[in-house]
Amino acid sequence: MTVKVEVIEGGVPHPKIMIAGLVCTIVCLYLSYLNVYTNTAMFSFFGGLAVVAALIWGSNTIKVLCSYGIGTGVPSAGMIAFGSGVIAMLLATKFGIAAPIVALVLAAVIGLILGYLANDVLNMKIPVMIQSLTELSIVGALTLMGFAVLITGSFTFTGLSSGTVTLFGALTLPSYQVSFIGGGLTAVAFLLGAIAVQHPFNACLGPGWKQDRMLMLTAECGFLSMIVASVMSFALINAASAIISLIIALIGWVYTYNEYIVLSKRDAAAWLDSKPIPDVEGH
Amino acid sequence: MTAIAAKPAAGSIMNPAAMAVGVVLLIILLAIAYVVSPTLGLMALIGVVIGGVMIGFGVHFVPVGGAPAAMGQAPGIATGVAMLAAGAGLAGLFGGAWAAEQGLVIAVITGGVGGGLMMAITCMMVNFVYVFGMGIPAASGKVLKDPITGDSQPEYKSQGTEGHGLPFISFVGGVIGGVLGGAGGTLIYIELLDLYKATLPTMMGVTAAQALPIAISVAGIFAIGLFLVNAVLTAYNITGTIEGPHDPKFKRWPRAIVASAVASALCGLAAILIVTI
Repeated sequence: MTVKVEVIEGGVPHPKIMIAGLVCTIVCLYLSYLNVYTNTAMFSFFGGLAVVAALIWGSNTIKVLCSYGIGTGVPSAGMIAFGSGVIAMLLATKFGIAAPIVALVLAAVIGLILGYLANDVLNMKIPVMIQSLTELSIVGALTLMGFAVLITGSFTFTGLSSGTVTLFGALTLPSYQVSFIGGGLTAVAFLLGAIAVQHPFNACLGPGWKQDRMLMLTAECGFLSMIVASVMSFALINAASAIISLIIALIGWVYTYNEYIVLSKRDAAAWLDSKPIPDVEGH
Repeated sequence: MTAIAAKPAAGSIMNPAAMAVGVVLLIILLAIAYVVSPTLGLMALIGVVIGGVMIGFGVHFVPVGGAPAAMGQAPGIATGVAMLAAGAGLAGLFGGAWAAEQGLVIAVITGGVGGGLMMAITCMMVNFVYVFGMGIPAASGKVLKDPITGDSQPEYKSQGTEGHGLPFISFVGGVIGGVLGGAGGTLIYIELLDLYKATLPTMMGVTAAQALPIAISVAGIFAIGLFLVNAVLTAYNITGTIEGPHDPKFKRWPRAIVASAVASALCGLAAILIVTI
């Protein structure tokens, strides 16, 4: 028997966010396939937008799950999401253009089984456990795929595991170390995403929780991660494409950060614009 | 009441039907691995499952205190399972990865030593902070006498708390947990690394030296993913906090063994399928 301690009052209902997040993420991931048709990496930034959409969905899922007081802290939810997501995502990259859909299905299967293990074998008996872990696993897989697209412009295993090294400005050699997987960028993307998905609810929970403020913080965290990832993408895609991603990330971050501050001031019980400590003369 | 104060009502009762389903799932997953890759894949998967079970079992030993421990109101290290297990496991994994070329046994032992050392340092520094920083003695709230030293506990326990600090048994438990976690994580890494080193060059059509960075990275990230999945599932089993091997919650370990074995088999199968399909 579990008591639900914090009902979701107001705000957008969870199924709506889930469907919107899923559709936006998949569409953005597939829009990045324009890279292949135009033979550039200009559309890599769609990967970053997919990351933000998936994170917003994941953040609300964590809110639904952690409202039951799972006792292990909010960060653990982000960790299990990406732990199961990275496994589904890496296997899915083997399926070429079908990769996002395969990642979705594989992550759903892994999440479903993990949810069953947690709920029945470990006797958690939390009504939303299975659904939440399934969703979180999908969020983890699609977020990592978004980062992969943002950094390399591709979501296939070949694209993620091979790169080129230019010697003396002219000689180009294939290299497997200069790539998303071979360079260990997967681990960076892993933690960028895992922290961005768990932080917003961890920071905003409590009696004054408001959905729009939490989701705005998620978007802010997503764009902040996107800035870092787009800086890393300078190593793997051409500079012009990386600059496009960086500019979009910066614009998104500045906008969402300002909005978040506005929302925080709105929800603060009393907000006083205290000035810096004045320099008192004579000391 | 906020979400933090609430604890789930998951008791220590076993659920035999679900455990049976778990075992059947495990057999099915191993059978799929046998069909896909009878020798190399199946051996790797068995290694992954053993490693996962070691992690799941090891986490039960680690004195996880959570938020109450940060306020000195419960014994244990003042953070969550995910962070502690990741710390011990990754420290062990780094240690074991250095020794990967020396063979399986040495690498796994090195991983265990790395994880145990990390937990020993953490436990010692935590007690330093508790004793000299917060001015509280170490006392367990769950037992009357320390099972190893025989020191009595209730006299040192402050009223209204569940105990505080790290008693000797918790310290020993932390080190054992670190050893098991580090060794388990390294075992998963080495098994997957051997599999990828053998299969990736032919799959990608490159030389062994060219495929090595990919093999190391993929094995490493899978080991981290598996580690976190097992650690968080175990955290759910002990509902967030545990004092160490003397805690009554420790008796729940059979559930975690089944859950860890199935979860490791599932994720390990995905890791094997990446080179076999």
